[in-house]
Amino acid sequence: MQSSVISHFFLATSLVLLALLTGCQATPANKSAILLAQQGNFESAKQAIRSDYSATGKSKLLHYLELGMLNHLQGNYERSNELLAEAQEIIEAQYTVSVVESAVALVSGPTYTTYAGKVYHRPLINLYKALNYNALANRAGPNKQQFLDSAMVEMRQLDTYLANLKDKTGGYDRVSDTEPTSDDLTNQIYRMLQPVFAPNDLLVNIDYKDDAFAHYISGMLFERSHELDSARIQYQRAASAFENGFAEQYNLNNKKIIAQVYADLIRVMTEAGGYKSEIRKLNKKIGKTTRTEKKPILNVIQNVGIGPQRKEFNLLLKADHDAKALVMTPILWGTAKERKAQMRWFQMLFADTSIFDIVQNYAMGDIGDVAMGALTKRIPLGPLWDDAEDIGLIQALEYGSRISVTYLEPLQQQVKSAEVWVNGKKAAELDKIYSVSLLTLQDALRNANSEIQVALTREMIKAITAQKTINATGLDQSFAGFAKFATSVVNAVTASADLRQWQSLPAQINYVQLPLAKGTYEITLKTHLTTGRVIEQSEAVDVSDDITLWHTRTFLQQSRVTAPDSTFL
Amino acid sequence: MKCNKTLLKITPLVIACTLAVSGCSSTKVQRVDANQEVALSDKWNGKDSQLVAEAMINDMLSFPWVNDHLQKEGQRPAIIIQSVRNKSHQHIAVDTFLNDLKRSILRSGQADFVANKDVRREIRDERKDQELNSSLETQNEMGQEQGADYALSGTINSFVDEQGGSRVTFYQVDLRLIDMTTNREVWNGQKKIQKLQERSRFGF
Repeated sequence: MQSSVISHFFLATSLVLLALLTGCQATPANKSAILLAQQGNFESAKQAIRSDYSATGKSKLLHYLELGMLNHLQGNYERSNELLAEAQEIIEAQYTVSVVESAVALVSGPTYTTYAGKVYHRPLINLYKALNYNALANRAGPNKQQFLDSAMVEMRQLDTYLANLKDKTGGYDRVSDTEPTSDDLTNQIYRMLQPVFAPNDLLVNIDYKDDAFAHYISGMLFERSHELDSARIQYQRAASAFENGFAEQYNLNNKKIIAQVYADLIRVMTEAGGYKSEIRKLNKKIGKTTRTEKKPILNVIQNVGIGPQRKEFNLLLKADHDAKALVMTPILWGTAKERKAQMRWFQMLFADTSIFDIVQNYAMGDIGDVAMGALTKRIPLGPLWDDAEDIGLIQALEYGSRISVTYLEPLQQQVKSAEVWVNGKKAAELDKIYSVSLLTLQDALRNANSEIQVALTREMIKAITAQKTINATGLDQSFAGFAKFATSVVNAVTASADLRQWQSLPAQINYVQLPLAKGTYEITLKTHLTTGRVIEQSEAVDVSDDITLWHTRTFLQQSRVTAPDSTFL
Repeated sequence: MKCNKTLLKITPLVIACTLAVSGCSSTKVQRVDANQEVALSDKWNGKDSQLVAEAMINDMLSFPWVNDHLQKEGQRPAIIIQSVRNKSHQHIAVDTFLNDLKRSILRSGQADFVANKDVRREIRDERKDQELNSSLETQNEMGQEQGADYALSGTINSFVDEQGGSRVTFYQVDLRLIDMTTNREVWNGQKKIQKLQERSRFGF
């Protein structure tokens, strides 16, 4: 009886401690930095990045990515390119995986590894560098060619990267690269967890397979430099990717965008000459004859908002002796909105809500908790229970173990519509052409299973290792309860999810193309928010080339209405 | 049970090794000969620039246009570099490559160089300034510039083929020399460089 009371006391105390730990989460420095930039405080934003992400530490990639983006927004294009080039080098160096670092991460946590970025970061680095070079070209006047050439160097690197990506992804199946393969204990635990999470076929078509938007911008930049063959190839790749799933995957207005890309393709084919039959086929395909007159074009690119933030979400893992199962219960913490998001994330990805889970639990005799499926994740061990006892897992989980994984804050539809006005007259509406938010969400969903499996494995190894140490030192005889409780708390303290991400990216990118005669125009972007507020940004744009590209960043909580960070390209 | 013991033994060892490895890293700088190739990657480097420039200029000067010009004009041909555009996938310091080209031509003693547009503008400004501020004996006259007989231009292209940790990079430099009077292409040169870079998937 007394031991039961003590046990409950320890459990309650550990829950309080876990709650305190989760409550210690603060806004990451790079989120604070972009919020400062939103208010125009660029120097404070840069200082925040420099003080929290060293140029040589495990998060050095974020140092360069965030400073590169802040300098881009500030118009320091050369500096931005230097920083983004460093970021690119770091990502490329991560091809070689450090086995020492991986081993340390296996027993300590993912934050002990060097941050390597996400698969869609490399193309974005090339894109922003290309935009920087074009801005420099515009400033350079008659000597702009070398900067335009540099922009195209970036586009060629991008093309090589995307070609390799397409070779690797090929179809839609992807083998997890985080599966532990080394030690026997790890593999034993991993095998126990293998079949219990969301089946892979529930998360189909969320891989980053190609980048239609990157190809499209590449086409524009090549066309601007009159490299018509390269422009044609990039427009063809963009059209193909948009049409075969990119537009659908990222929830874009596919009909309008695909028709636009084909119109661009027909334009460069007409200009290059020798593509009469192809043009006929394309016109037939899109159901109309595209205008072939040569007219200057203004491409408006609007980077909107701030990408979603990765947050930490905790679970308590315990062993249920009666049901011979491991049980994970979410520890909801934070604001009401955060708690709701954590619960939804848990239910969406891990909870026993599918028929498969219910049947599995029922078949394993775990009838009592079938109805609790939405609140827990049960891992019935069945015949593996004895193995789990042999390796000391069940004993090690007596006081529970904290599992930390990431979740993404829910995406918010903050923009209702965006318009472009030319010299005081409404000219067109902008359409979403790229969604960094959905890229981030789909990446998080795709990695959720492997992330929780690796986190579970790691925390179990830590618990077992601590248990063995207690046994070896003889503490289990004299201070059994306290020693186990202490190790549970130590493990809870060291468990943490990897929340690192490139935070200064926009949430989405809007686009529209305007045919305009050469001249200077007052361009105004009116962004209508769902709250009813309208953000206006105005700038005089000089359309002096056949292809002009103007881009701007629209922060949704910005305190000013003009856009000094806009760029003529 | 046995494997757990092994893990217990290995874990501190791994951590100790990590600390040892990270503790040993330090920055070291040493001087090396500028002509010595230090290839840390498959990127275009200083040695590539130097070797390509020398090889192409040797080829250019071996063509008959040099002797033809000497026989016809009685003086060394004057060349102007128009542009060499970087159409490769790497950022290449084109100015450095152009300087290597110029040095190779000047070292041969078979041709002269005429300054490009920007430099000519600066020199003309300087001459204007001399007219106002320099003594008559030291002034340089306007209208005495030597016009170029030939224009040199070209491109640097590249192709990349990558599979796993292996990457083959192929650079091709194309240069052409145009007779500015007749628009005849008196020389066309090509130099190719192929590099293989192999990276290991795992390391310490």
